[in-house]
Formats: sequence, C-alpha cells, structure tokens
Amino acid sequence: MSNRSEQLVPHFDRLPEPEQIGQMATWLAQAGLESLELCNEAAGLKLRIRVGQAVPAAASSHAPPASQPEAGGGLVAVKTPYFGHLCLTHPQRDTAFAPVGAKVAQGDIVALLTLDSLQVPVLAPVAGTVAEVTGQPGALVGYGAAIMQIQPD
Amino acid sequence: MSETPRFNRVLIANRGEIALRIQRACRQLGLETVAVYSEADADSRHVHEADVALCIGPAAAARSYLDPDGLLLAARLTGAQAIHPGYGFLSENADFADAVEKAGLTFIGPTGASIRMMGDKITAKRAMREAGVPCVPGSDGPLPADMDAVRAIALEVGFPVIVKASGGGGGRGMRVVERVEDLAQAVTLTAKEAEQAFGNPTLYLERFMQKPRHIEIQVLCDTHGTALWLGARDCSLQRRHQKVLEEASAPGIAPETIAEIGARCAEACRRIGYRGAGTFEFLYEDGVFAFIEMNTRVQVEHPITEETTGIDIVAEQLRIAQGARLGMAQADIGLQGHAIECRLNAEDPFTFMPSPGTITRWDLPGGPGIRVDTHVVAGYTVQPYYDSLIGKIISYGATREQAIARMRVALAEMKVEGVSTNIALHQDLLADPAFARGGVDIHYLERWLAKRTAS
Repeated sequence: MSNRSEQLVPHFDRLPEPEQIGQMATWLAQAGLESLELCNEAAGLKLRIRVGQAVPAAASSHAPPASQPEAGGGLVAVKTPYFGHLCLTHPQRDTAFAPVGAKVAQGDIVALLTLDSLQVPVLAPVAGTVAEVTGQPGALVGYGAAIMQIQPD
Repeated sequence: MSETPRFNRVLIANRGEIALRIQRACRQLGLETVAVYSEADADSRHVHEADVALCIGPAAAARSYLDPDGLLLAARLTGAQAIHPGYGFLSENADFADAVEKAGLTFIGPTGASIRMMGDKITAKRAMREAGVPCVPGSDGPLPADMDAVRAIALEVGFPVIVKASGGGGGRGMRVVERVEDLAQAVTLTAKEAEQAFGNPTLYLERFMQKPRHIEIQVLCDTHGTALWLGARDCSLQRRHQKVLEEASAPGIAPETIAEIGARCAEACRRIGYRGAGTFEFLYEDGVFAFIEMNTRVQVEHPITEETTGIDIVAEQLRIAQGARLGMAQADIGLQGHAIECRLNAEDPFTFMPSPGTITRWDLPGGPGIRVDTHVVAGYTVQPYYDSLIGKIISYGATREQAIARMRVALAEMKVEGVSTNIALHQDLLADPAFARGGVDIHYLERWLAKRTAS
C-alpha cells in the first residue's frame, strides 16, 4: 500500500505547473471531492486546491455520457457534457463546427454550450463523418442530449 | 400575495414525491415550474408536468441535485426567479441559500443565517434555551469540584443522569447514573477516564432519557412577525434514526402541554427572525420535553399536519417567500382529528436492503380520509442512486382509531409488484397492541424487529 501511494502521490518539492494543477482540479471534481492539500514542510511548500463546485472547473471536467454505437447503422451519438444553449457555429466565424458530411477526429470540438459567459465544448466521441445534426441551434439542451450522429471511420 | 409577485417561475431543486408535491402547490398558486433532473429521473412525473424541464447532470447526486452552481446556472437559463429545495439534498445548506439570494433569486426557505444557526447544535441549543424552549435538564456547564455541589445539581436535574466528558463524543466518556449514592464514584471515574482519553477532565451532566418519544412541533412564520405552531407529530417509530410511521397529534400528551411548548417554539421563531416552515424536534419522557434540533425545511411527514390543520404547508411556504402575510392567527388554527403516515419504501421487508427495479403493478388505495403522495406510476423504475421512498400513505380520521382502521384497509388495498416494499411491516405495526395503545418510545421498533428476527 505504501509503495503504491508513493507512486500515486507525486514528489512535492516544487509547485506543479498550472496544467498539472488544472488536471488535479479536474480529477477532484470528477471524484466528487472538494479540496486537496499537499504540504511539504521541509521545503516550505503548501498547495491547496479547492474546486468546491466552481463552475468552470466542474463544467470542463464534465465527461460526456458514454456514447454507444446504435444498433443498425453503426452511428455514434454526440452527447452534451453539460446543459446550456446549443451553438453549432463558431462564435467568431460564421462557419459550422461540424456540418453534415464533415470529417471529425476524436476530441474535435463539434459544438459549444453557452451558459451566460461560460462556454463548454462538445467533443466528438469518435473519429468519423458527421451523418446527421439533430440539435437545434440556440435551443436549451440538457445534459446528455444527443445533438448529432457520427458515422465512425 | 403581495401586489407584484417576487417570482412567477419556481425551480424545484429536488426529485421524487416531494418534487411533485411542490409542483402541485406551485400550479395551484398559478406559478410556473422548472424541473431540473438527473439522467436517471428523465421519466419522472414532475418532469413531464413541468413548464420547463432541464436535465442538469448524470445520476450521481453530486453532479445533479447536490450541485449548487449547476442549479443556479439552470435557474438563470430557464428564467426561474425562485428555488424550492424540498427536503434533503441542499435544503439545509446555508451556503446554497446565501448563494441563491446573492444571485438575486428567492430561496424558498429560511435565511442562510437561520440555517447556519440551527445547523450548529451548540448555537442552536443556546439560542433555544435563551428563547425559553426546553432543553435537556442538566448542569448547564462544567461540574464543580465539590461533590456535595455536584450531588445537589444531580438531585435538581433528577435521576437517572448521564455524566459526560466535555471533550468526549461518539459515545465515549459518558456514564449513566441511576442512584444518588453511585454519583460520587461515577464522577470520579469518568473524570479520570476523560483526563486520560481526552486530556480534559471537565464533566457536565444531563438528565438521562431512557425511553423517550420523538415529538416534533411544526411552525410556519411569515416575514411580518407572525409565527404559528401547527400542533405536534409523534415520530417515535424509527429504525436507525429513519422515521417509518408518524402520527399527528401525539397520543396521550395533553393538548395544553403541546400548546405551551408550541407557543415557546413560535416565540423562539419570532426572536430569531425565522421565516418559512420549520420543525422543532424534541425528546419527550415523563412530561419533560428536551429540544434536540430544528429542521429548517419542509419535512417528509408534513402531510399529517396538513390533514389535522387543513393548512397547505407547501403553498404557505411559497406565499411566505412571495412576501405575503400568513392569512391566519394562532387562534384560527384548530387541530382536528388524527392523521397517520406510513412511508412506503422499496426495500426488503426483512433485511431492509433497498429493492430497486421496475414497478409492474401499482394499485393505490382510496376512499374517505386516504391520501397518497407519490411520484410513482406503474412502469416506473425505482433507481438505485437515491433513497428508497416510493410514496406515503396518509390516513385521516375523526379519532385515532378511525385513522388506524382506514390505514389498515389502505395498506390491504395497496398492491405493488416488481419491487419489494415495507407494506407488510406497516401492517404488522398497526396490529401491534403497544402501538394500538399509543406512545411507544424511539427504541420500540428496533426492539420489536429484534424480537421478530429471534422468533
């Protein structure tokens, strides 16, 4: 157990990079935990990460619900990882993120959810071709809503 | 209602039967409702009936019903101007109540400050004692070193007493003393143990309640200085601190006694500026009431008080939150008849393990004096993620006997298939002679269950 925990808890002799802190906050939020404290008294270091229910951290950490290939056509639904108003076109450009026929890679942003000033990306669960867009632009969609279908490669 | 309503769209931050109960009250008052729900509850009745329904997260409550920021965002996105928290989940979270108000919305419940005060048992007790609400008789502070003085305190408190270490807790560092002649030795021993275990020999003592009943007083307070008490409920039938069956009024306790305690609760509310619905919970034994805690929300068992007073408690919560005055005075509240509530749980009747699954048959009882509060319909799936309450049968009668008789028939009519329920347990309880006499203590059900297992 002690060996294992040594591997799990990184050496804390200097402050982690912002990206690492961000990753830890994501893990905390996913685990439903509120805060984490690392302390190295010898080095005079103390790191406290509180996610509480901080929206941006929580929102970005919201993993989309599992998408399973549907029986039949083998299409994979793109499901929303949070709720918000659906935005299918890039706010700065006038082009759709992923119109029907577009090729997407796994993890590509295919839509945005906007909640006031907050924007949560909706990611493609698989690589493939967008077969159908069912979400209505501007509509208030809930968590886990299927907004488009992808034909996997 | 005030001239311009503070809100006309209410977000219901809860699920199950209470979400439907709140929705009914909203609709009857002409208020629109927003149902926010987890993926697991997409097929719930109140979701279908809502003016706006929004799935806010997965089944895990931490990311749906317990996510304060998600709920606030959902309120903003759906145009809700008020949030009703129901019971459980965030209903007694003072920070959430504050956050709701800070966001410019109305929290349908007391202020964060009131919730915070009652959430801390020591502050709550101190506030109640100052307001004249009876607490467990005791030394009200550390025991003196002089044993004669300790003896005098104990005699005034009344035996049996329990001697407790100030630094103790969790059942450690305490000793029950039945007779005055055993007091000196018990105090010396407990002090020595407390010194060793907690590094602090300070002791205090309280009356030890051996077989108390759980008696609670419902209150309702507006924001114009009116605080009313709505009678008492007896919730002594509990298993592992979970109430199973409740009744109003409390059998065998004189109405004048309840009236006196109720008046003190109402006065305490006025003193602390309490608003909305609330419940003062007491232990009661040999004519002594001892305040345990105050619940700063609507309770599961609120319907039995509604039946005996004719007051719609949830509607009053909404009206109070709108800023309206309570349209009645204490003298207008008549306590009529008797009501019983049986909580229906989807659970194994013997092991009490939850029994999730799809309900294939759901025949409800009816007739005069029978009310069923439930979100369940045939075909409904009881989720494993939340508590196992699937409904509440409430019976009302002119007398306790009539309420019991009606409940017996209702339980016999209630047919549930697909999941196990505790209906048989309720039937056995209603047939129990001690229950029929009334006034069993809070340990009665567990003793009864232990006997049932043994035989």
